[in-house]
Amino acid sequence: MTSRRVILSSLLALVTGTLLLAGSSAGQQVDKPASAQTTNSTIHSAPPAAASAQGDEALRVEGEKRFHANCGRCHQSPHKFPPRMVMTIERHMRVRATLTDEDMRLIVRYLTQ
Amino acid sequence: MMLSVSPSSANQARLRCVAVLLALFLVPAVFAQAQTQGPTLGQTDPNSPDVILPELSAVPIISAGLAYNTFFQGGTPNLHPLVSPVILIPLGQNWLIESRDTFEINLAPVPGESGYKGYLQKEVDYLQVDYIANPFLTITVGRYLTPFGVYNERLYPVWIRDLQSDPLILPISTGPSGAGTGAMLRGGFKATPKMEINYATYFSTLSRDTPFDSDRNIGARAGIFLPGPRLEVGGSFQHLLQGDRSNAFGFHFAWQPPPLPLDIRAEYARSDTGSGYWIESAYRLSQVPVWHDEMRRVQLVARVQQYYTGKVVDPDLPGVNTNMFEFGMNYYFRDDFRFVSSYGRQFAPGGGNFNVWTLGITYRFVLPVGHGDIQ
Repeated sequence: MTSRRVILSSLLALVTGTLLLAGSSAGQQVDKPASAQTTNSTIHSAPPAAASAQGDEALRVEGEKRFHANCGRCHQSPHKFPPRMVMTIERHMRVRATLTDEDMRLIVRYLTQ
Repeated sequence: MMLSVSPSSANQARLRCVAVLLALFLVPAVFAQAQTQGPTLGQTDPNSPDVILPELSAVPIISAGLAYNTFFQGGTPNLHPLVSPVILIPLGQNWLIESRDTFEINLAPVPGESGYKGYLQKEVDYLQVDYIANPFLTITVGRYLTPFGVYNERLYPVWIRDLQSDPLILPISTGPSGAGTGAMLRGGFKATPKMEINYATYFSTLSRDTPFDSDRNIGARAGIFLPGPRLEVGGSFQHLLQGDRSNAFGFHFAWQPPPLPLDIRAEYARSDTGSGYWIESAYRLSQVPVWHDEMRRVQLVARVQQYYTGKVVDPDLPGVNTNMFEFGMNYYFRDDFRFVSSYGRQFAPGGGNFNVWTLGITYRFVLPVGHGDIQ
């Protein structure tokens, strides 16, 4: 009984450590400044203002798509909530529906615009 | 009948459990690690740009679901009012305290007496602290909904479910109250541009203190979601760490074909207490060209389910093999307020054939505690 507990505890610690390590290195990439991310954008060939508008529209369309694909699995037509409520609801749904970080960001952006 | 198990086979079963859990733990971790070694999202996939969240502080929320259903089971009416408050308290950027309770009364006529009698049932569905450790991992501690299949976690609330009656197999592996008390690791991440993986793994301790009752068990669930076709498939596993130390497993399926307002869902579960499945489809009539303004509010639902008894008796499950079909029609006055109705018939030996009618209303509200708008 004791040995089994040790094995399971070790297993849990190992996996938690792996996931935490994986996440911290991912976080370093995600937390890059916005300017660096803009440089990586696929719309770099367009003039800055036009590129920004195109980028906003692309994000809105993608956010709406993610909203329907994820939230629509359980909920009916879209709610409109105040922006600060959206931040809480998405955190709740990230846990409840295991949304990915990317889906959550796009959906929040779509719902708060 | 007593079931004898040799020590060697018990050890083999244990090893198999550990191997399955190891696989369920490590596969998401490997995918997560593989992702971190690649270029940033914006470089590889134009549909997946990095998005900076708006700098808004989250606000606490109070919400509640209310329902008043009347079940006519075999001609006997049962009145079923229910209130289910939800509280969400965000802390900082990565923490969330959340809870859901249920207060319900099942009012039924008592032979020889007038009126309906019942008593108030109170249940803490979940009361948990979530810590979003990183994009791939959320750590949950407290009382949580058992992630076995998806119905218990996602579809159970009365304001979400399309048919008001529970699936027959719901009590399999969700414990006496549908919840566990302990810790859970969970998360979701993009494995490829067209595929997402989600996982949840948990340990629950034994508790017999109502309304916090739970079984002592360990388990995991993993799923694959394809956002394009909106298709999700997954599997669940649970090992009971008490009593007969039995194993349980299940599968879930959900599909929303993008061109259609159609939901198709199914679950299968098997344990020593029994096995069975349900298949449900729900179709919103928003594509019907006539009376569009009214028809788009109507949803038609159908569910077929079968349950087969196991070698261990569970009082929450049917005592005999049972088949059931149900048809329902819901009318959405608004997306949070609807009229629900259904007709079903249950088939079971020993006088278990009867009709089940349901009529009711469900409502849900969501309120911020403080200012919800940007200040």
